[in-house]
Amino acid sequence: MTFAVVHTTTYTYESEVSASYGEAHLLPRSMPGQQVHTAELTVTPTPGTLDERVDWFGNRTHFFELSAGHTRLSVTASSTVDVTRQPIGDQLLASQSWESVRDRLAGGPGGGDPASVLAATEFLLASDQAPTTAAAAAYAVPSFRPGRPVLEAVEELSSRIHRDFEFQPGATTVGTPVDDVLRRRAGVCQDFAHLTIAALRSLGLAARYVSGYLETDPPPGKPKLQGADVSHAWASVFVPDIGWVDIDPTNDQFVGDRYITTAWGRDYGDVAPLKGVIFTDGDTQRLEVSVDVRRVRPAGTASPGPAPTGPASASPAPQPMVQQQSQTGFDV
Amino acid sequence: MTSVLDGAAEPGIPTDAANEMTAPDGSIRPGWEGLYGAVEAMDLRQQRRLRREVARLLEDDGVTYHVPGTGKRLAWQLDPLPLIISGEEWAGIEAGIVQRAELLNLVLADLYGPRTLLAKGLLPARLVHDHPGFLRALHGVHLHGPQQLFTYAADLARMPDGAMVVLGERTQAPSGAAYALQNRIVTSRVMGQLHRTSHVQRLAPYFRALRRGLQQVAPGDVTLPRTVLLSPGSRNETAFEHALLAARLGLSLVEGSDLQVRDGRVWLRSLGHPEPVDVIVRRIDEEWCDPLELRPDSLIGVPGLVNAVRNGTVAVVNTLGSGVLENPALQAFLPGLAQHLLGQSLRLPSVHTVWLGEEEGRREVMAAPREWLFKPTARTAGHDNTIVGAGLDDREVLALRARVAAAPHRWVAQEPASPARSPSIGTDGIVDRRTVLRTFAVADGSSYTVMPGGLTRVAPDDGIIIANHQGAWSKDTWVLGDAHQPVTGFWSDGGADDPVVPDATMPSRAAENLYWLGRYAERAEGVARLLREIEARRTEFHEATSGPGVACITALLQAVTQVTTTYPGFVGPGADRRLASPQAELTSLASDERRPGTLAHAIRNLLDSVDVVRDQLSGDTWLVVVDLQRRLARTDPANRMPTAEPGELRLDDMARVLHGLLSIQGLAAENMIRDAGWRFMDAGRRIERGLQILALLRATTTHVREEAADGLVAESVLRVAESIITYRRRYRSTARVSTLLDLLLVDPDNPRSLTYQFDRLAEDLTMLPGHPGAGRVSATERPVLEASTALRVADTDHLASDHSDQVRGELDDFLSHLYGLMSRAGEEVRRAHFTHLAPQRTMRADTSGGVRS
Repeated sequence: MTFAVVHTTTYTYESEVSASYGEAHLLPRSMPGQQVHTAELTVTPTPGTLDERVDWFGNRTHFFELSAGHTRLSVTASSTVDVTRQPIGDQLLASQSWESVRDRLAGGPGGGDPASVLAATEFLLASDQAPTTAAAAAYAVPSFRPGRPVLEAVEELSSRIHRDFEFQPGATTVGTPVDDVLRRRAGVCQDFAHLTIAALRSLGLAARYVSGYLETDPPPGKPKLQGADVSHAWASVFVPDIGWVDIDPTNDQFVGDRYITTAWGRDYGDVAPLKGVIFTDGDTQRLEVSVDVRRVRPAGTASPGPAPTGPASASPAPQPMVQQQSQTGFDV
Repeated sequence: MTSVLDGAAEPGIPTDAANEMTAPDGSIRPGWEGLYGAVEAMDLRQQRRLRREVARLLEDDGVTYHVPGTGKRLAWQLDPLPLIISGEEWAGIEAGIVQRAELLNLVLADLYGPRTLLAKGLLPARLVHDHPGFLRALHGVHLHGPQQLFTYAADLARMPDGAMVVLGERTQAPSGAAYALQNRIVTSRVMGQLHRTSHVQRLAPYFRALRRGLQQVAPGDVTLPRTVLLSPGSRNETAFEHALLAARLGLSLVEGSDLQVRDGRVWLRSLGHPEPVDVIVRRIDEEWCDPLELRPDSLIGVPGLVNAVRNGTVAVVNTLGSGVLENPALQAFLPGLAQHLLGQSLRLPSVHTVWLGEEEGRREVMAAPREWLFKPTARTAGHDNTIVGAGLDDREVLALRARVAAAPHRWVAQEPASPARSPSIGTDGIVDRRTVLRTFAVADGSSYTVMPGGLTRVAPDDGIIIANHQGAWSKDTWVLGDAHQPVTGFWSDGGADDPVVPDATMPSRAAENLYWLGRYAERAEGVARLLREIEARRTEFHEATSGPGVACITALLQAVTQVTTTYPGFVGPGADRRLASPQAELTSLASDERRPGTLAHAIRNLLDSVDVVRDQLSGDTWLVVVDLQRRLARTDPANRMPTAEPGELRLDDMARVLHGLLSIQGLAAENMIRDAGWRFMDAGRRIERGLQILALLRATTTHVREEAADGLVAESVLRVAESIITYRRRYRSTARVSTLLDLLLVDPDNPRSLTYQFDRLAEDLTMLPGHPGAGRVSATERPVLEASTALRVADTDHLASDHSDQVRGELDDFLSHLYGLMSRAGEEVRRAHFTHLAPQRTMRADTSGGVRS
């Protein structure tokens, strides 16, 4: 699937901002199952500095700095991305038990490339927004019965979150703690991702936060509106012999080719699409976000090429899992 | 913030301890004979005198230590008796410190580079990944020059068997080196004879190495790096040290808001135009240094700094990210790392440390938790979070087990150390107290230079905790050397390696504080004079119930309200009652620090300004400031110096206060170079004095009273304006309004006249940066020229005599006009020269995180 993604964030300030400093994780990263053809980030007005680097987690990261006064700031990320990743196959659900994965990550024997296992151990650790709390552990435990295949347990955890929690924009902020989300039984995609990660980590599994987009469909019978998409977030769990497996608890499914990945980290704090520091006397700022995810014809070819090999596709041919999903839309 | 206080909290549960001076057989150890003899020769009275002398010298230099989080200022405590270490033993310690610094340097370079230590399992990954000092944002960033670790400090203690061990290490922004220097300055004075004959190794070479090192880390091919010392501010616990270091090393003392990242570089908002900054010596803990990439709630950092460091346009020392080495769990792995990285064993061992992230060690420790000290791997700055196993009851042991079990890799256990005791002068004679030595190393060439000696801290009682905010004392540390060490300067030993550094630049914030220092000093002086005059008149006429004396007192009381704008006071509603019994209001005007316009308020603001520009002022300023502080401290329990008694700032303190304020003037006049900073201070003083004169004259001379009362008021005004003697000599008559106006408004030679203030102000303004040049007039100068012209053509006889209905209307208008011009001059100075910094805010995050499409 090839997508054109345009994500524009515009700030309008009450009074002049003398300087702005920003960090963006807005351009998709190339990885097995996802090929980035074009990607560009523009900041208006023209910044004094616009630097791109690859951060600790391998994400494309931009720094910008504007020292001339301005009352409006706009950041646009445009890209075309080819996604070939398919959701994890059913047969993998019957893979290693979750305890053996846990023990392997704790330094025990087992499969997997030692370097990638070592790298994954970083995601065992509690982080600010995905801490290992007793409440998160207690919520997860019923799905992690002894000896259960790890991905089967993760899938059930995701389903329970989808069933138990109301999708309710505005119920939380990017800083709402996991335990509050657990109490309220409501939240948005970031909250469900953080809850999943916190629950997995509290059981000794390695889990990370993934930020990106999900192609959505318009309401039945209506045209798709420009800019009506939103950014999305989900979780990923590490299984030594397979690699990282992404799951979207908000939509209760393993991640497939309608998902575009921009960045991953320990939690939202590592990969916030856009964050910044400004200097201004005014205390109000208006924020407008417009996201457009569109299917396009693959650049230069009539159809997408063969899926690159990688952890997610190293196993026997994956089965698409999304076909039974409602086509009326997704929660993000 | 990194501090000297929270490192050496080593409870001495074991009672067995060595003595630094006395060997087990009772003999005096080599090197200590001189000190032993000196102490033996002193009686209690002499010992106490020595202690007082030390306290006085420290107070004169304004050496303080702020209690973290409270703004409370404690006098720095120094025991007159130094800790003595023989040159021979020191050579071994020095080699051990160099080895550790080199080892940690290699570890640091690896952790932010290839991380082979993790891949090879020499360091557990989560010991690094879970530590708050490991800054992922700095991954792959390197400091220019051979070392990644720039300065290093270690806390050393002597064990009962006589061996020195390392209790802890500081790699973030180690503090204490300048306190060590200050201790040397004071101790070498009070123990002068002994110091001269003991051949104590000098500290200067360490500071010279520090300067050389700063040159070496400068990015690229900068030959004269512009270096600043980044401080969290004048209320930080070790603010004294920041100012002393900046002044000694010739660095600009700056705060985060003085620096700005623009076009990929760091700039100092200095007077005139921004200056590029090449090297930043940070005394801010790393996580606070950049609100964009590190802690978003930091208001003391510089947004964009990490990116500038990453791009190599500025060097920050200690390197951002070096806090990862302050994990005490590292101590358990250092022997193995030394073998692997250096092929050596550690010359200076660590106190026995077990990382509880490893099951075997954890089992051993938790089997007998009361035999250990427990520490979280993440240090909390300014606060010691060591848990003493021996001090726990059963319930607390259970709680500790639960905390450790929840995240064992975040804990270490250490064997309780028993630091040796050294003789100190206590209140009742010589006592033996445990001591811990913090010594320092700095990257120099391809290795490290160690300070011969360091900051020795002394337990405040026979126990256990050695922490400054809990009353720890300090000692100078004498490392004995040869009889023939070359005497070298602090700056230079005349060698070719002496770095040349450019003059420190003045941040515009410092200029602004100097301006306000001038204004508050003058305001305090004006209010003090007025209050003193009121007191004199009230004494003079204390029995009168009516007549010119009472009219004069009323006029002065009303004037004090108007001059200080502390309405209603003696003017607004309730004035009758206050005029009838003025004492409470006068006391408030003298001593209520929180009420704007009062004397105490002006002094508080003056002292705050002095704190901020400490590095710009002559050292003698402290002689004065300390006295003012002490007087002010009486009024405020929060700021009380230990020696102060509670009470109010009494009117009879006024003479002392005036004395202090005049001394500040004298120091400014005689000891400060006439640079832009001085000009700002003088401009502030002129503007404030002009405003005071005008307010005083408006309050007292625009009303016509009967002649006797007018005369008394005029005389008082002359006294308040410090012009009575001139007046008498010149006019040889009783005071009259017309001659008073002549002397206080237009006389160009009277330093208390308005014309004089405008003339001096005009001169100051032409010397400020950004002046358009000779013959041209800046916006700031316009109101000043207008006022000068008006004053030159003023007819004081006419202004004094033209009155109707007991009001000198024309005079009132004239004074009011001048007041407006003087205020405008002040506003123009601020507008033209001081940066207005809009508040720092966070860009709103996109919380939409979900619309159902």
